[in-house]
Amino acid sequence: MAAAASTPQGVTERRGIPAASFVEDVESYLRQAGLDVNSGLAFLQERLQQYKIVEMKLLAQQRDLQAKIPDIEKCLDIVASLHVKKTLGETLTADFELSEGIYSRARIEDTDSVCLWLGANIMLEYSCDEANALLKKNLENAKASLEVLVADLQFLRDQQTITQVTIARVFNWDVHQRRSKQATKET
Amino acid sequence: MQQGDGAEAQVTWDDQQNINRFGRLNNRLHELDDEIKLAKEANENLDDAGNELILSDEDVVRFQIGEVFAHMPRDDVETRLEQMKEDAAKKLERLEEEKESILAQMAELKKILYGKFKDAINLEED
Repeated sequence: MAAAASTPQGVTERRGIPAASFVEDVESYLRQAGLDVNSGLAFLQERLQQYKIVEMKLLAQQRDLQAKIPDIEKCLDIVASLHVKKTLGETLTADFELSEGIYSRARIEDTDSVCLWLGANIMLEYSCDEANALLKKNLENAKASLEVLVADLQFLRDQQTITQVTIARVFNWDVHQRRSKQATKET
Repeated sequence: MQQGDGAEAQVTWDDQQNINRFGRLNNRLHELDDEIKLAKEANENLDDAGNELILSDEDVVRFQIGEVFAHMPRDDVETRLEQMKEDAAKKLERLEEEKESILAQMAELKKILYGKFKDAINLEED
């Protein structure tokens, strides 16, 4: 599962997010990159911060989508209810909110259409069937985007974990180096 | 990594992947805890609504669909409420099952990772 998301040589990015490279050996990694321990750590920390910023952005998108889905479901619910009333030949009596805390009563008789708010100050009248189809499609799209977004987040978190592990290993390697140097000096 | 005393275990790509997997599971676990909390609340609210409905003696009740309160015969509301309760209970059950499976997978990974890295790795929260 994780192998598909990123491999040492495989995936290098996902939707603009660069993959963190897995370090096999700390010493040769630093040598190849031409970095000493401190600048190596600084580079990795900076990377980690960048990942965190992207994560916050994606999390905000995820929250938006997660709020949008129940909204669409609510719309589908009321359109379906109107449709049922229509086929039964009944009137739907409903209390609706005029303004915060003020309700009025409406009787909806024999209706064929609803108006959907499309955003950007545009509302369009649809037949109940069309509205139903459109809302269903919107719901599907929202669910599909959420799925992609969740996969993006998982990829991103893997890169964060890899970077964190690398930071810890570079740090430990440095401590070890110093210790063994100290040991050779003392003997 | 040749480091004299060899106290540090070498981290391989396999290990890294296991750590990643553990991280993902841990994340999902937190999300699940939130979702389970919400699902439980939804269940309780529906139960409350059902009880209130039994107590009320009105024939027509206002039932929220979308943004409006539709006037509906009590029997219809009862049926819809039952359906909603059933769905909510199923959802909660599904979430609990997923949590079980995630906990099992995490325990498995802990065994592997602690087995290799001993106390050089910490997989507990706080």
